Amino acid sequence: MTDTLHLRLAPEAAQVTTLLDALEAYAEAQELPMKAASRLVLLADELAANVVMHARGATFFAVDVSRGPDAVTFTLTDDGPEYDPLGRGEANTDASLEERALGGLGVHFVEKLASSAHWRREAGHNIFTITLDAAAE
Amino acid sequence: MQITSSKSGALNVATLEGRLDTATAAEAEVTLIGMLAAPGMVLDMTQVRYVSSAGLRILLKLAKEAKAKGAAYSLVGLQPAVREVFEISGFDKIIPSYATLAEAVAA
Repeated sequence: MTDTLHLRLAPEAAQVTTLLDALEAYAEAQELPMKAASRLVLLADELAANVVMHARGATFFAVDVSRGPDAVTFTLTDDGPEYDPLGRGEANTDASLEERALGGLGVHFVEKLASSAHWRREAGHNIFTITLDAAAE
Repeated sequence: MQITSSKSGALNVATLEGRLDTATAAEAEVTLIGMLAAPGMVLDMTQVRYVSSAGLRILLKLAKEAKAKGAAYSLVGLQPAVREVFEISGFDKIIPSYATLAEAVAA
């Protein structure tokens, strides 16, 4: 059993499902309590779906998960256009009302459920890291 | 996401199982819309591990459809992780939910 998970996937809807299946298996292998596991899968879904739906020109997204005694760390990397999920920059005025509301809600979940969240841009990649309370029941 | 249907009196009961996420929400919506008719329906969420924002959106859409049709609509058996998402998003105030099917039917 390994304590880390690494996946590199194509930015397609079916690959998000692959990701979530892998995360559920990881959570079970790590014996994460229910809420910690659900939050991990939920936030991964929100963030990966954002890449699949909005990162124009992205050729991949990669996920790295690791855990310590108190926290699970999840990092999502993609090579799409610069995008900070936490940014308070320009609103996406090209998106439909539904799309914007959806995106906002996903980020809202990140802000409420993650212990910390951090975004950086490096060599043409968005790297978004969140930590979760590994003991959340 | 598996959905099985049954009845409780005159109400349609849709029992969902699995994840209601970005990938499964669209298909679930089609199935559930098809089950939505007066006098109403109850969604049994006891076996739903989690709901993402895409899932919330279709649950809300169904609530609006139900209202338009004058049909009852409620959720039953929200698991802690799902309840948490409902509370964070404020959806707990706009979509009725109950602990058990009996309570939902009686409402």
